Formats: sequence, C-alpha cells, structure tokens
Amino acid sequence: MEPSSTVDASPKEISRRQFMSAAIAAMGGLIGAALGLPAIAYIIGPALTKKTENWVRLGAVSKVETGTPTLFKTTVQRQTGWIADQQEIAVYVLTEDGQKYVAMSNICTHLGCRVRWIAEQERFFSPCHNGVFDKDGNVVSGPPPRPLDRFETKIEDGVLYIRTV
Amino acid sequence: MDTKLGNYLDERFGWRGVWAAIFLRKIPHVNWLYTLGSATLFVATLQIVTGILLTMYYVPTPDHAYDSVTYITTQLPAGWFIRGLHHWGASAMVVLTVLHLLRVFFYGAYKYPREVTWSTGVLLLLVVVGFGFTGYLLPWDQKAFWATTVGTRIIAVAPGIGPWLLRVARGGDELSAVTLARFFGVHVWVLPAALLALLLIHMYLVIRNGISAVPERKE
Ligand code: FES
Repeated sequence: MEPSSTVDASPKEISRRQFMSAAIAAMGGLIGAALGLPAIAYIIGPALTKKTENWVRLGAVSKVETGTPTLFKTTVQRQTGWIADQQEIAVYVLTEDGQKYVAMSNICTHLGCRVRWIAEQERFFSPCHNGVFDKDGNVVSGPPPRPLDRFETKIEDGVLYIRTV
Repeated sequence: MDTKLGNYLDERFGWRGVWAAIFLRKIPHVNWLYTLGSATLFVATLQIVTGILLTMYYVPTPDHAYDSVTYITTQLPAGWFIRGLHHWGASAMVVLTVLHLLRVFFYGAYKYPREVTWSTGVLLLLVVVGFGFTGYLLPWDQKAFWATTVGTRIIAVAPGIGPWLLRVARGGDELSAVTLARFFGVHVWVLPAALLALLLIHMYLVIRNGISAVPERKE
C-alpha cells in the first residue's frame, strides 16, 4: 500500500455527470467483455479441437505396382460437429524396389483439388490450375508451392498402413 | 468525442445532434420503475446477439436439431453460457415486457399524445410471446415437441376455420420437419423483422414525445 501522503493534495473535482459517464462506460465495457470473450471462444471452438492421428489400413502391399504410383482408396470414420460419417481418402503409393514405400496424398498442395496420375505422361495433374507433379510428388510446373504431402507408412503381415488424422 | 475525428464525423453525419436528441433529452423526475423499458431493450439486444451466435451451429431439421443443440451445450467452449443466456433471457423478456406494460398502464402513460407508443408496445408484447412460442420448439426434445403439439392444437378451437389454421401453423396434420423449419424461419426472420420495425417506431415516439411524469395526487 502507498502511504496516504501521496494522495493528490488538490484533488480534481469530478462532476456528477463525469462520474456517471465513467461508471456507465465501465459497466458497458464489463458487460461487453463478459459477452464478447465467450462469444469469441464459442466461434473459434471447433478450430481448437485436437486431431488424433491413427494408423489407417490401405490394403495389401502386393497390389502396389513397382515403379508406378498405385491408387488406394479407403474410408475413415470422422466426427464433424454433430455428424459422424465416412470420409473417403485416396492415397498414391509408390515403390521402386519393393522395400521402401512412399504414400502420397492426392490433395494438390496449391489449393486442394485432387490430383490424378496419368500413366502415359508419367505425371500427376491437378485439374484446377494446371499444377503438375512428377511420380515422386515433386512440382514440375504450375502454382503448387511444395511437393505432394507424404504419410508415414508401415507394413504388417503384408498389409500397408498410413498414419493420418 | 471532442476530437478532430468527432468533428470530422459530426460535419458529415451530424451525430452530435442525434446523440443529444437520444441521450441528453430532458426527462421529468421519475422513479426506478421507469427503467423497465430500458431493461427490456437491453435483454432484447442480448437475445439478438446470443440468438445470432446460436444460429452458427443450430440446424433446424428433425434429424440434427437435437444433436446440434447438444453439441452447442456440451462440446463448444462457452456454448452452455450462450444458450443459457438465450434461454433465461427469453423468460426475462416476457416478464420485463409485461412489467413495463403494467407500469405504463397504472401510471396512465398511454394517454394522449402517447397512444401510438402504447399500441406499438402492445404489438411488441405479441411479438415477444411469438418469439417464446416458436423458440420453445427449436431444441426438438420431448418437452419442446409436446408443448408445441398442445400449443398449436389450441388454434383448432377457433370456430370454423380452426382446424384449417392448425394445418397452416403446423404445415400439415402433425408436427413434422415442416413445422420445425417454419417455426425456425418465423423465429429468426419474421419476428426479428417485426421486432425491429416496431421497436424503431416505439423508440422514435418515446424520444419525440418525451416520457410522462409520475402522476400526482392533486387537482
Ligand atoms: S489446386 Fe492444384 S493447381 Fe491449383
């Protein structure tokens, strides 16, 4: 506590009107904060939920053709808001030697269109803005800023799994 | 706002005149009962804000209404708080509107030249009750369903066209997806529009005519 001697020797007169204005502003601010802060939390809430990664089963490794990206499709159970539903995910798997497997997302790194492997041209094409990737997922041309995303993979009993949300 | 910006805006908007007309008008010496109108307006504002927030997640279809409300109250941060405010605010609206009406009635404040202020006020009471009635169905739980079954059934008592009016209100013979959707539409579009329009007239008249003094026991 400050010693009372520091109190202003000549206190400024506050008029009744000034006091009321200040009190109203303070209460208004308090009410605004009491409603505004929960409102912000409420709106950004869904963006704050943590995603949990799981191993998702893709299929038999034997289905992967050596040297060319092979498409695997699988569905995952997802809870979005108040709805639980199946979402399909598609993954291109590439192996050069049957030992190491690379699993690439088919989601274009530009703005999220789905890329397709065109075997004759040995390229992935994004239909939206002419993004082109080579078979390892590196950008060949177009606007995509980075190579196709890759998933962590594992093989158990001849079955290929990827780690994803 | 005695600042440069204040002057700049005042030159273009004349906001100081508006401010003075609304907040610096002369009022007679009154008592606390005269705050009931402002209290109603405050809760109405709260209902609008929390109502808008609820529509961010609420879905007015039978297969998702209840789940989306549960999601709001159990999964979202402060969802219980927003919904709680809207829930209790609804009751507060009815109570405050009626108390405000009683104050105006017993003080004789509805008389010349304030008859139109009174009439819009009575219509506003109907709007508030309409909000309560339509909003009650939206959570789509057992209580909501049966309360609205009973509530709409009352319409059928009207002579002659009663049963037909009931079908119109429900959008069919029974409570259904159609009922829920139209109650939602009325709750978030029709009634808010009516509320704002009536409120604007009501407030304009309060400011234009001033408020009445407490009646005195002398003649
Ligand atoms: S989304 Fe693929 S190029 Fe734009």
